[in-house]
Amino acid sequence: MGTRISASKVIKYAVLVLFAVVFLLPIWWVMVSSFKRDPSIFASLMPFSAHALWFDSEAYLGAFRDIIIHRNFGRAIFNSFFVTFSTVFLGVIVTSLCAFSFSVFDFKGKKVLFGIVLVTFMIPFSAIALPLYQIVSSLHMVDTYWGLILPAVANGLSIFLFRQAFMDIPSSYLEAARLDGASWPRIYLSVYMRMSISIIISAGIIIFMDQWEAFLWPLIAGRSQAMKVIQVAIADLSQDNEIFWNQIFAACTISIVVPVAIVLPLQKYYIMGISSSGVKE
Amino acid sequence: MKCTRKECYVPYLFIIPAFIGLITFRVSPIVSSLWDSFHTVSYAGGLHTEFSGFENYAFALTDPTFLNSLKNTILFSIEVIPLQIIWAFALALLVYRPAPAMGVFRTIFFIPFTISLAITSTIWGIMLNPNGGFINSILGLAGIGPFQFLTSSKESLFSIVFLVSWRCVGYWMIFLIGGLQNISISLYESAWMDGANPIQTFLKITLPMMKKTILFVIVADTTQNFLMFTPMYILTGGGPEGSTNVAMYEAYKNVFIYADRGVGNAMVMILLLMILIVVFVEFKFVKSKD
Repeated sequence: MGTRISASKVIKYAVLVLFAVVFLLPIWWVMVSSFKRDPSIFASLMPFSAHALWFDSEAYLGAFRDIIIHRNFGRAIFNSFFVTFSTVFLGVIVTSLCAFSFSVFDFKGKKVLFGIVLVTFMIPFSAIALPLYQIVSSLHMVDTYWGLILPAVANGLSIFLFRQAFMDIPSSYLEAARLDGASWPRIYLSVYMRMSISIIISAGIIIFMDQWEAFLWPLIAGRSQAMKVIQVAIADLSQDNEIFWNQIFAACTISIVVPVAIVLPLQKYYIMGISSSGVKE
Repeated sequence: MKCTRKECYVPYLFIIPAFIGLITFRVSPIVSSLWDSFHTVSYAGGLHTEFSGFENYAFALTDPTFLNSLKNTILFSIEVIPLQIIWAFALALLVYRPAPAMGVFRTIFFIPFTISLAITSTIWGIMLNPNGGFINSILGLAGIGPFQFLTSSKESLFSIVFLVSWRCVGYWMIFLIGGLQNISISLYESAWMDGANPIQTFLKITLPMMKKTILFVIVADTTQNFLMFTPMYILTGGGPEGSTNVAMYEAYKNVFIYADRGVGNAMVMILLLMILIVVFVEFKFVKSKD
């Protein structure tokens, strides 16, 4: 009996390790290769040698330098950071204010309005991207930061998350604050927001990921060199006439490290956020 | 809380910023898309639009390129949804019970999802390079291949199915782990007492108890993949020989390349209608499987 259990355990862990390799090896290879010259990358692949998976004796930083100096990547990195963090900042404020109203007040049309929130986050973004372009264009916001930021601010999922968290806050806190004569903005800020730090982080990461990874929208609404974000810049690199693998890898490495560095330490909150989107019936 | 008469406007003040955003950037695009799909832009005698009824729809539905792209969208969905769900389910079953290092494996499986679809496509595009790319190179060690992958009309669509799934299965795994952990252990205990084997336990207890979670994952997976065309845009441009030209990509081309908004938006509306039908059928199907 004892040996059978350990045998099945060995198989289970072997399968787990195999899957881990399938998921991690490509990422590792990309990161290692971003510190190599192209000929060195090619040489280790034809035929395959273990050297493909480890650094050259001397790390080559030229690929990073090239994309930043010659390929305008500095600007793309700045744009991605600026657009993403502005969206997170505005998004958390706007969606939590809205959720506050839905969880604290009774008002005419509440059900219909909340229905609109739910419907808007069920519609896949690609479906509205094309007509959205006409609208943003008529607001003269194509190729501006506003055009990249504003459409992503009113995030339906974030409203939903904040509403769930706020509804769990006992109404006695609200009543006590009202008796003390606190204004509604004060209650929102120092009762509801203060008690929902973990949801602020969850919603913030969800908006962050949506925006950092956005490709389709910046592709059509931020085409100019000045407005290009990192995702679009990478696609351009890989569709160029002359392709440098190590430059593409360097760009990918930068773009991968940022969300991983933010999400991994906070993954508890991120997973809490996305899994509560699954219990909405 | 009911508002007192003098402050009945307060709830609306709080929701106004969000609703300006939702109405402008979510609701009105749908309305404008619907409107565009029933109108034709005419350049004869100055730019003007005129109502054209179902003309754009008729055009789209008789256009062989669009019909072929619809076929690709359906093929793509038929491959990608079951693959992702079975793969994610396997991962969830492996890691949902507490045991040493399970947290580490969960994190590892989830990492690809933190990489954007555009980057995933770019990376896999290079790895799947038929001439000495990473995958052919590794398969070559075992004497397998070389494969053409994205450059063959037979292999291209499935190559994209695979790379999209590689990114997403860790995400669906999270929901499935949640579902598995909610199944009461006493159900399993009584099944073991009755002498049920692992396969019977899985079919009679795990699957039925997971129905709601699986339904959610299937529906969310459908809406996420049915309109996807980022990998096709980056990797194949719809080729080779139209084998990866999915319907949403065709709609995109109609609006932004052929400058035919009416037809492009009609295609989007057709796709939205199809998603609604598919999701409806999925609900019926899962609910009826008692």
